[in-house]
Amino acid sequence: MAPGEKIKAKIKKNLPVTGPQAPTLTDLMRWYCLNTNTHGCRRIIVSRGRLRRLLWILFTLTAVALIFWQCALLVLSFYTVSVSIKVHFQKLDFPAVTICNINPYKYSVVKDLLSDLEQETRGALKTLFGLSEVKSRKRREAESWHAAWEGIRPKFINSVPLLIFDQEARSPVARDFFTGRKRKVSGSVIHKASDIMHVHQSQQVVGFKLCSNDTSDCATYTFSSGVNAIQEWYKLHYMNIMAQVPLEKKINMSYSAEELLVTCFFDGMSCDARNFTLFHHPMHGNCYTFNSPINDTVLSTSMGGSEYGLQVILYINEEEYNPFLVSSTGAKVIVHEQDEYPFIEDVGTEIETAMATSIGMHLTESFKLSEPYSQCTEDGKDVPITNIYNTSYSLQICLHSCFQAKMVEKCGCAQYSQPLPKGANYCNYQQHPNWMYCYYKLQQSFVREELGCQAVCREACSFKEWTLTTSLAQWPSEVSEKWLLSVLTWDQGQEINKKLNKTDLAKLLIFYKDLNHRSVVENPDNTIPNLLSNFGGQLGLWLSCSVVCVIEIFEVFFIDSLSIITRRWWQKAKEWWRLASSDWTQKQAQARHLLPRLEPKSKEHSDRGREPEELAS
Amino acid sequence: MHVKKYLVKCLHRLQKGPGYTYKELLVWYCNNTNTHGPKRIICEGPKKKAMWFVLTLLFASLVFWQWGVFIKTYLSWKVSVSLSIGFKNMDFPAVTICNASPFQYSKVKHLLKDLDELMEAVLERILAPEPGHANATRALNFTIWNHTPLVLIDERDPHHPVVLDLFGDNYNGSASSSPAPGSICNGQGCKVAMRLCSRNGTTCTFQNFTSATQAVTEWYVLQATNVFSQVPRKELMKMGYPSERLILACLFGAEPCNHRNFTSIFYPDYGNCYIFNWGMTDKILPSANPGAESGLKLVLDIGQEDYVPFLTSTAGARLMLHEQKSYPFIKDEGIYAMAGTETSIGVMVDKLERKGKPYSQCTMNGSDVPIRNLYSSYNTTYSIQACLRSCFQDHMIQNCSCGHYLYPLPRGKRYCNNHDFPDWAFCYSALRMSLKQRETCISQCSESCSDTKYKMTISMAEWPSESSEDWIFHVLSQERDQSANITISRKGIVKLNIYFQEFNYRTIEESPATNVVWLLSNLGGQFGFWMGGSVLCLIEFGEIIIDFLWITVIKLVAFARSLRQRQAGARYAGPPPTVAELVGAHTNFSFQPDVDDRGSDTGGYADGQTMPIPGTPPPNYDSLRLQPLDIIESDSEGDAI
Repeated sequence: MAPGEKIKAKIKKNLPVTGPQAPTLTDLMRWYCLNTNTHGCRRIIVSRGRLRRLLWILFTLTAVALIFWQCALLVLSFYTVSVSIKVHFQKLDFPAVTICNINPYKYSVVKDLLSDLEQETRGALKTLFGLSEVKSRKRREAESWHAAWEGIRPKFINSVPLLIFDQEARSPVARDFFTGRKRKVSGSVIHKASDIMHVHQSQQVVGFKLCSNDTSDCATYTFSSGVNAIQEWYKLHYMNIMAQVPLEKKINMSYSAEELLVTCFFDGMSCDARNFTLFHHPMHGNCYTFNSPINDTVLSTSMGGSEYGLQVILYINEEEYNPFLVSSTGAKVIVHEQDEYPFIEDVGTEIETAMATSIGMHLTESFKLSEPYSQCTEDGKDVPITNIYNTSYSLQICLHSCFQAKMVEKCGCAQYSQPLPKGANYCNYQQHPNWMYCYYKLQQSFVREELGCQAVCREACSFKEWTLTTSLAQWPSEVSEKWLLSVLTWDQGQEINKKLNKTDLAKLLIFYKDLNHRSVVENPDNTIPNLLSNFGGQLGLWLSCSVVCVIEIFEVFFIDSLSIITRRWWQKAKEWWRLASSDWTQKQAQARHLLPRLEPKSKEHSDRGREPEELAS
Repeated sequence: MHVKKYLVKCLHRLQKGPGYTYKELLVWYCNNTNTHGPKRIICEGPKKKAMWFVLTLLFASLVFWQWGVFIKTYLSWKVSVSLSIGFKNMDFPAVTICNASPFQYSKVKHLLKDLDELMEAVLERILAPEPGHANATRALNFTIWNHTPLVLIDERDPHHPVVLDLFGDNYNGSASSSPAPGSICNGQGCKVAMRLCSRNGTTCTFQNFTSATQAVTEWYVLQATNVFSQVPRKELMKMGYPSERLILACLFGAEPCNHRNFTSIFYPDYGNCYIFNWGMTDKILPSANPGAESGLKLVLDIGQEDYVPFLTSTAGARLMLHEQKSYPFIKDEGIYAMAGTETSIGVMVDKLERKGKPYSQCTMNGSDVPIRNLYSSYNTTYSIQACLRSCFQDHMIQNCSCGHYLYPLPRGKRYCNNHDFPDWAFCYSALRMSLKQRETCISQCSESCSDTKYKMTISMAEWPSESSEDWIFHVLSQERDQSANITISRKGIVKLNIYFQEFNYRTIEESPATNVVWLLSNLGGQFGFWMGGSVLCLIEFGEIIIDFLWITVIKLVAFARSLRQRQAGARYAGPPPTVAELVGAHTNFSFQPDVDDRGSDTGGYADGQTMPIPGTPPPNYDSLRLQPLDIIESDSEGDAI
């Protein structure tokens, strides 16, 4: 060997074998394991003895598996939230307070519209339950009671007949109370809500029958008590009548703000009817909202306690109450956000007359994280239901809007107690004779979640909640009753021409108990830096590995191995080509004889290819 | 000795010049460091070298960025919240009970006599029931009236409101026998207002009310405050409802208790209030079971017929649950209990425990709040309500120079009254309406870190039932008044049940979301994830930096020296070195041009030239000397920095 080559060989021996130049895959692996920064692999190469090597391979593989498992867990738990609760003490915006009389319209004014219905109801009561004389405390129109049943052709009973069912009989037999004749019940009998609660009913139950257009498909609704049956029946007809009355007329028929509010006091200052905004509710008539967004400054309180809240005295005239529609006396109040729709019939608090109702509030704000953390919606824009209320989104609004939309779609008209969607009319008999049947069926399937509203509607991400603590006290007290009532009568003046009684009045105090308000905020539990550092911890703990190692692995296992494999394939192919082209006519046996010599040659070749680089370094 | 040796070594190194170049140092570092990236830069080919260089830089910057994120998160002092719900044996809350009327009318009648007569006359004038009946003028005490009179503002002509004095003596000069102004118009046309004047009527304001009811009530309360503030506390307490009259029966769990178990406290709005289980003197009572049977059962008599008629229009008992040793602000947080009913209150303790500074701005015991807590005289704990009231009283004393009757007094001050402080009502109503005052108070007071609320579920039923009322009233009257007559009626009797619910506590506790361990593990995780590094790597890096600096220092020294020598060379007047000399210097190491030696033996040569450092002669750094690098290296290998 020439001295030059000898030196070269020596240098080659001392120089580390670098990756892609390794002649075979085994060399490459060996080189990788010796030079890598991860810990396990080196031990596999270095350790002596088969068992030990096997153990190290096992350990390394376990570590790799553990890393994958733990990292998968980390990724899966990425979208979790942690909740933080903060308490602030600060000046608070006073919420909007909506106050309604329980009775929607003055009975003396709406009587003309409802006189037929009233007579029929009384007639029904007389025949069904034998009620002939009304011993009402206040009502003195008994004369119409007697004349109820003569000479009128009942239109309401005809359209929706009230029936008495005899449960004794094997097949349900209904008796039309008006004509007195029995008839077989055709169609399905639906006991109201009896699919949820199994009530052992008395023998005789009262119900009514609703039929679709062609009267072939009928459903009969029965109630366990006649009180419910009569009220439901009355309400159906009532909605039907009121749906045809224009809004301005309805507002005029209801109570004015001056009438409802006798005195008003907020934060130590007097206020009056001008501070209240009218809001017409279909079932509760005129409601009045204090601190509504219309007068654009929102009032705030900077002190807790009843002195600094809203104090109102309400006038509630029981004589003007509708006897069949409402059976309780008083007012309803709801505390809500300024741009929130007051669902007064769903969540209102009732106020009794001759009482002071003090409502202490406590504010809790909640903020949830939207997608991808939870299914809530920020402003309802991504919910495929058009908001028919002119207010901000809430789950309840969505459900009601959804129902109303389905109602318009299925029955062709809108339900009375909710706002009108665009281009729809309220239901009434003249145009939609069978809407009630449709409505009842639709409501049933809505309750059973068959309409898909509950699936589509999502809860809002942020909401304010006022926790109310309600307590009652006697008002006015015995000793102060005399002077208080006379001064209040003077206050009212010509508005009501009578001396006020204490049962005509209700006092309401709404105030912040304290200015502490809690906000419940969801925060992402994990951030990207957090996740990465957890990855880093896992990789480092099991293998002392880092992203660099990952790149290394990628480099060695994919690029270098592939390059080695392709190089060998290339050389084989070249060899084969050379053989094939040089001696096309040679026998295959010869070619097979040549092949084993390929390998050392390629090794030499690769060595030669590496030389210039080695020298350069 | 060692130090000296070391210093000498340093000095030599300084004189000799650096042992390594920057490049060598870097290569050595990259080869031997434990971080993963740099090694690759060294041992790969040129293309990969570039790639690895970029990658290493990228990862290093990523690591630093993430570190910044983590340190910022750590310094934001976030807290995490843990919530626990359940039932445990807890201290029963303190229960404060008051009557809605502060005094028994029969006992304060002599104080309020003038005022009541005046009030009745005012009502008569406003309402004007029947002419003739109103003319029965009594001897009214007009001194109270003239201080803050009520006026009637006729607003039927909205552009020219007419102010009518109710007794019509000051303004239009007509006699008091003029027709009662109330007969002219009613509540729709006229408004009742209160005239508040200061400094003997120089500046007057009208406080308007939309309803006469409010005006009259506010006026009466203001006047009554004036009356009561002149009476000493002890007498006021005697005029209130005594505990044995208010509390008829008491049962805690299975143990009987009576009015002696209640601590009395005077609360100006409601007179005598009684606190059960306040924990000031007695042991705090625990409650071990949920349900009404192991709670507190009380029967009260509010004595409605003895209410002060114009002062309170609402009849009932006031009640509040609060923490032990805290002052009950019953007007804000109390609830009513109605006469003739049984009120059941299920209690759940809602507790919030917060970390103090720097996690949130709450105060542990109020000692760091700039307002003196006036309620500390009751020996109670700090609360924000106490702070706000103390703040208001402070402002009141500053502005009106007297304290308001409803709040405690600082030492050496007096309560406001018409006699001594004639314009206090004007001052007070201005202060009460001022938003600025409230906002300063809110900003000065900070909430306390632990906040306990009692969530109440209230339900009511009629009590006593009609069939049982006879014997119940009889027994209770007999016990209290020792008389056979029934002195208690449905209008005064109140039954209360206060008990723990099935889940009696909900505790929300804050704990720091981040701590040093969290920070370190995240920093380590990031460094490990991107570069496989650890603290030791950082130390390595620091070491290299020091080496760098050291080399730089040595180089600078050498540079300074060469600069000085060049200066010296410029001054040298002799002939420039010949080519032969230079060649000799280059080839022969032992040969030195004799220029340099001259400075050492003869002083007269160059007068301005500085002397070289004495001691061992330093090697010469000629600017022209081209010395092979490896020779210097070989001789300095032993003491390489």
